[in-house]
Amino acid sequence: MAAREASKCATKIVRPLLSSDKSEAKKRVLNLYKTYYRQIPLMLFDRHLPVSKEECQIKLKEEFLKNKHITDVRVIDMLVIKGQMLLQEIVTKWAQDCHIMTLFKDTVEPKPNDFLSKFVNNNDSQ
Amino acid sequence: MFRTTLQRTVPCIRLVVAPGQFRLNSNAPAPPSKLEVFIDDKKVLVDPGTTVLQAAALAGVEIPRFCYHERLAVAGNCRMCLVEVERSPKPVAACAMPVMNGWKIKTNSELTRKAREGVMEFLLMNHPLDCPICDQGGECDLQDQSMAFGSDRSRFVDIDYSGKRAVEDKDIGPLVKTIMTRCIHCTRCIRFASEVAGVDDLGTTGRGSDMQVGTYIEKMFLSELSGNVIDLCPVGALTSKPYSFSARPWETRKTDSVDVLDALGSNIVVSTRAGDVMRILPRLNEDINEEWLSDKSRFSYDGLKRQRLITPLVKDNKGNLVPVEWEDALVATSRALINANGNIVGVSGGLSDAESMIALKDLLNRLGSEQLYTEEPFPMTGSGTDFRSSYILNSSISGLEQADLVLLIGTNPRYEAPLLNTRIRKSYVHNDLEIALLGPKVDLSYDYEYLGESPAILKDLAEKRHAFYAKLSKAKRPVIILGAQQFEREDGAILLAQAQQLSQELNKNADKGWKILNVLQQVAGQVAALDLGYKPYNNLPAAKVLYLLGADNESLTKCKPAGTTVIYQGHHGDAGAAIADIVLPGAAYTEKQATYVNTEGRAQQTLMAVQPPGMARSDWKIIRAISEFVGVKLPYDTLNEVRDRLTDVCPSMTRYGDLEPANYLVQASDLAKDLSSQTVSTPLNVKQITLEDFYMTDSISRSSPTMAKCIQAVRKQKESKYYESRA
Amino acid sequence: MNNIFPFNKFITGFNIIKANGGPLNAFKKLFRHDELKIGTLVGTDEMGNRYYENNTYFYGRNRWVEYNDQVYLDYDASQITAEWYGWIHYKTDLLPYNDPNRPKYKWMAKHTENETGTERQYVPYSTMPPKIQAWVPPNKN
Repeated sequence: MAAREASKCATKIVRPLLSSDKSEAKKRVLNLYKTYYRQIPLMLFDRHLPVSKEECQIKLKEEFLKNKHITDVRVIDMLVIKGQMLLQEIVTKWAQDCHIMTLFKDTVEPKPNDFLSKFVNNNDSQ
Repeated sequence: MFRTTLQRTVPCIRLVVAPGQFRLNSNAPAPPSKLEVFIDDKKVLVDPGTTVLQAAALAGVEIPRFCYHERLAVAGNCRMCLVEVERSPKPVAACAMPVMNGWKIKTNSELTRKAREGVMEFLLMNHPLDCPICDQGGECDLQDQSMAFGSDRSRFVDIDYSGKRAVEDKDIGPLVKTIMTRCIHCTRCIRFASEVAGVDDLGTTGRGSDMQVGTYIEKMFLSELSGNVIDLCPVGALTSKPYSFSARPWETRKTDSVDVLDALGSNIVVSTRAGDVMRILPRLNEDINEEWLSDKSRFSYDGLKRQRLITPLVKDNKGNLVPVEWEDALVATSRALINANGNIVGVSGGLSDAESMIALKDLLNRLGSEQLYTEEPFPMTGSGTDFRSSYILNSSISGLEQADLVLLIGTNPRYEAPLLNTRIRKSYVHNDLEIALLGPKVDLSYDYEYLGESPAILKDLAEKRHAFYAKLSKAKRPVIILGAQQFEREDGAILLAQAQQLSQELNKNADKGWKILNVLQQVAGQVAALDLGYKPYNNLPAAKVLYLLGADNESLTKCKPAGTTVIYQGHHGDAGAAIADIVLPGAAYTEKQATYVNTEGRAQQTLMAVQPPGMARSDWKIIRAISEFVGVKLPYDTLNEVRDRLTDVCPSMTRYGDLEPANYLVQASDLAKDLSSQTVSTPLNVKQITLEDFYMTDSISRSSPTMAKCIQAVRKQKESKYYESRA
Repeated sequence: MNNIFPFNKFITGFNIIKANGGPLNAFKKLFRHDELKIGTLVGTDEMGNRYYENNTYFYGRNRWVEYNDQVYLDYDASQITAEWYGWIHYKTDLLPYNDPNRPKYKWMAKHTENETGTERQYVPYSTMPPKIQAWVPPNKN
């Protein structure tokens, strides 16, 4: 009886978010990538961003490759949804220039990690 | 009806009280060792002699009180603890009344509440409505208890006719501020002064509403423990003068820490606000300071804000110390260390923590130097520092309460370790402890047998020739306390050897496992330094680089050796920084998480209450940073890694709060045997003889304006015509 | 005729240039103030600023100031003195020297312009004593 319950649990099919299998998820990711890629010149035309088209393309690739280790279809789908949301924000200009520029993190100074730079910069956390 | 019962009881009483009756009944079963009482219908079994208040505490009921205090004699004069006892015509004072078998005590009945409200109304009638400007606000017993147990209205309307009682304020010194109108006459301060501090300065005059607490004649309440009356005072009559009008208890951040201004390591709470130490209060620790704190530990915190080293300083080509960045200072330091080619001497001071000492030891060892010394001297002849029992307080601070005879040699514990002295006094008052003193005659706040100041007497005692030896040898739990200051003498080794020999003699008659020999250290860092393998500083060898880790000793700094580069690392600009070529700003004990071992060998840690000021850093980090510049990187980056290293060297040092006892007393004595036969003639002397000498002993208290005021007050008191020396 | 060729505007322009002291001076003034106007000089203040009025202009543009020539391009509205402030901001129509109720005491300070951005600007500073007193090393020389 208990074994049957357990097997029921194990074989329970998770409800898919968008894609039913991996190939479909891959297709969605590629689609999203292409849409972004095509949006870049339009975005740069609309806004005054201190970055070139090539830099944007490199950043786009970097942001996608950041998640390349993910294999779970549901997680990939969720990331695709979030990517679409950001794309919508960019197209409709809900996201302002500064919001797009945060992706580049050009003003963020990296925190010191080694003992000496922490010591000199008065990072006195133990 | 009443008459008949009375007639029946009277002969009955006579029968019981008759003297012969006891003898006849002596074989009968002993009365039950526990009494049964009912607190609010809850049954509690207590020992005979327990007061109602203590029994209620056992049942988890706290009875309100003002005058009662666990560590002081019962006075029973505030009447706040009145409770109803069933079949008693009047409410009884819970703090003074021992319970009887079968009593039913009602702590929340109508009668009890009415009694409390009445008492509270009388107290508030003559208490000013000062709370918004009163320093006790927020931690006032009267405030709290009037909210919890007082009446919701007052019948006091006499404001126009006779008004509230007003009392003139008294000047009792630079530490305790008095607003005597607020006094509710609980007499806690009086009882503390006479019982714990041993100074019978405070008392009451007048009676009824004319009663006043004061010093009878105009004089100051000067004691090394005077600050404790501030904590004891349940209202705002006695408050802290340096802290007055500076902060409220609810806006301060409290950090548990450990005091380092004497070798006892009293537990303290550091109250801070906005990165500023506002005050220091004692923290309860039954094994060390109970709930008291000495004035130096409590009030010298303003020394932490003065004369501080806040930037690294390096000598320029004109020979002046100029502020530099950390990188430059580290480069200069590492250049000096590398050029020294292993000819480096490290000296650690009295306020150094174990983490920085182990880091300095590791650094210097890696640079090829074994010359690491502590600022305080200790004889290296005999067993030297090999046995831990030769340099710690073996019988422990709380263990002194079990002693039946204390022999003090060359020490004045009243000022060297005030809370050790209160332990001895406590035992003197409650257990009839006998005390003898060998050394200069000082006022210890209790009576003692004075043996003289010649060290030859110690030799006579050790060789059983002295008259006092008879008394010593009869003692079951004798204690010998040798002041570490005597090791500064050239013949300190002989004194230690003779004390060791004497304690071995006494051991034959003493209880098994009782440790007799004790060394009372002067500074907080000494035991940890010796535990870590630092050698005591006796004669300083010449070196190319002298690394002072907070060492400000006069003998060390008064003549700077020519051609030596002096590196000073510490938190205060004192004698050490003045002779230095490179100054590295470290953190004081409130600004770092650090390990200290007290004189009885108990490891404790301070916690970081505030950030180190300016560019100052935790001490071990500075040494760790230097090591990277020199090229011998120390293998620890975090505090936990340093503590792992500490544990490797000395496992007891990271078992915080535990007492680590020492052994090999016999072997230490045997090794020093040939020394004990030598004779010493120079009379014993101690540095701290009067209260004046107590206040400024280290770089923190030396830069404290409050401590300076205390010294002035003592000098002023000495000029007063009422002054009498008690030494 | 005027619709085809705006003679009157040329005439006005010519008059303005003439009133401002010829083409060269007019050009200099235009360069300094971005504007050329014609009006009557109603007064000069202690800073050397000249105040003009011409009610043929629309309200709001009918009173103006030409700053002291010495400041050249560094003129600033805070250079208008307190006594002229009311008139140029239309708080009052009375010229300062015509106003009978204007107080004049010897303790009244001379007008100063806003010094923000200059060396003499006010910089707020803490009046609290420092929390930590640093050790001052003994100076040998």
